[in-house]
Amino acid sequence: MPAPRTPKPFPGIRPFGNPLLLMAPGLVFLLCIGLAPVILTVVLSFWRSSIFGTTPDFQFGNYARILAEPVYWQLLVHTLRVALVTTLACLVIGYPLAWFLSTRPNRTKVIWLIAIFVPFWISYVVRTFAWLPILGVNGLINSTLIRIGVIDAPLDWLLYTSGTTYLGLVYVYILFMTLPIYLSLQRLDPLVISAAADLGARPSSILRRVILPLTLPGVLSGSLMVFLLSISAYVTPRLLGGPSGVMFGTIVADQFLTSNNWAFGAALATSLMLVIILVLSLMAMIPPVRRAMLSN
Amino acid sequence: MSVTDTHSGRQAMSEASPRIRVPYANLKRLLTVYVAVLLFVLYLPLGVVALLSFSETGSISFPMGEPTVRWYGEVATNNTLLASLGRSLLIGSLSATIATLIALLLGLAFRHDTKLKPYALGLILLPLLLPGVVGGAVLFVFFGLLGVKNGLWTTVLPAHIVYVLPFAFLTLSPRLKGFNRTIEEAAVDLGARPAMVFTRVVWPIVKPAVFATSLFAFTLSFDEFIRTLFVTGFDRTVPVLFWVTVTEQGAPYLPAMAVIIMLISIAASAVAFLLDSKKK
Repeated sequence: MPAPRTPKPFPGIRPFGNPLLLMAPGLVFLLCIGLAPVILTVVLSFWRSSIFGTTPDFQFGNYARILAEPVYWQLLVHTLRVALVTTLACLVIGYPLAWFLSTRPNRTKVIWLIAIFVPFWISYVVRTFAWLPILGVNGLINSTLIRIGVIDAPLDWLLYTSGTTYLGLVYVYILFMTLPIYLSLQRLDPLVISAAADLGARPSSILRRVILPLTLPGVLSGSLMVFLLSISAYVTPRLLGGPSGVMFGTIVADQFLTSNNWAFGAALATSLMLVIILVLSLMAMIPPVRRAMLSN
Repeated sequence: MSVTDTHSGRQAMSEASPRIRVPYANLKRLLTVYVAVLLFVLYLPLGVVALLSFSETGSISFPMGEPTVRWYGEVATNNTLLASLGRSLLIGSLSATIATLIALLLGLAFRHDTKLKPYALGLILLPLLLPGVVGGAVLFVFFGLLGVKNGLWTTVLPAHIVYVLPFAFLTLSPRLKGFNRTIEEAAVDLGARPAMVFTRVVWPIVKPAVFATSLFAFTLSFDEFIRTLFVTGFDRTVPVLFWVTVTEQGAPYLPAMAVIIMLISIAASAVAFLLDSKKK
């Protein structure tokens, strides 16, 4: 006698529409304007640009130039350092802020969130510009310090130094770190922390062994966002960095917008993409990072 | 996911069991001071720009002399500025509408199980993962090689749609999957055709999310700068015009212009935020 068949649970009625047809407009558009330009740029990076224009002869000259001239290496190292320091600074400054937001009572939480959000609703071009009247030679800080007699002559290191670039980048991108950490703190059960405290863990070890590991996904996605944004920074170093404000992103832009050297620009842009892919793969090799990535 | 989603019952739990031990309680005051300082630094530059927009001297420095609204008058009568504002509003609305529509279709497709999904997702997220400068450079190369002349409709609009689309998809798609599908299934059971299921059941449910998404997309497009810089013609959008004015000639009305840009961005985002939090 055959065993009684257990009825399969009802899978539900299929959603309406043909998925292929629904996807078609988006995919066609993204293939044409999203993917094709990337492929074309990689191809173009092997071409040759001269004063007569860009010609399609396959060669490695552009990459040979990037590898041979130390200035591009120095720039790459400098850019990686700026991106890394900015990411770390955002993490250190943004984590307590995220903790603060997540521990607000529900009544006031929305108000706090909006208070933090509003500045980030504004274009980063405008927000970067807004530092000029504060740090400039006749800016707020210098004029205030002179008026109260702390200094006689304006400080000239407030603006157009690499420190200003860091300040600007952290100011512009810190929300991209705070928000994902805040979201993962929201998912963290406060009882877990209390349990650790009840079992006698010291605050420092609760932080290290309970809170940080459980919010690692948020830390990672925040770091990834800030790193990606600051490694290709253009506006902030240009506007606030002065002579030290040359970064990899600004020379990529220069090849297209001023020197008209498309093929070399394409090679620099491709190199930047490769460096980013390399950094991300290296990050993914660290065991806790890998675990957090997989669980996400 | 909404940012105001709290861990379920978090409040209730801590109220029900009053003697939970909270570590770091002694750091509470320090944290409040810290956040106050942070908020001050966040708002200081914006406040200073707002203050300087009334400066008599018309330069971004101190002292600023008698307050005047003269620069706002100049902004309001400057045809170049007004034209760029019109262009930004137009490009913002158009790219937001188109991107939201495409994202809606993609989101509806993603409710099905198809083998295409992972590839489609990769394609959708690609513009998001490209750093801004690279995103601009690839479009520059693309349009340049195809011989497309830089212009508002030929290059800027497609560039904005491709930039905004992943954000629109990521905001909208969870809302399309998240609602209770039994109502939809009941409609199908009662004989509703797909068109009717959409217009009478799905659309009323997702409408607020769609509007919130398109407003969010509008703010992204309105503020987009770096990609636009690569593909802009002479008809500049507001951020590009602002950048050119800051870096090339400077102008006494820059703070006033900045304040107006800030107000538009804040207003649009605030409405999107309210729409988004209301539908829950």
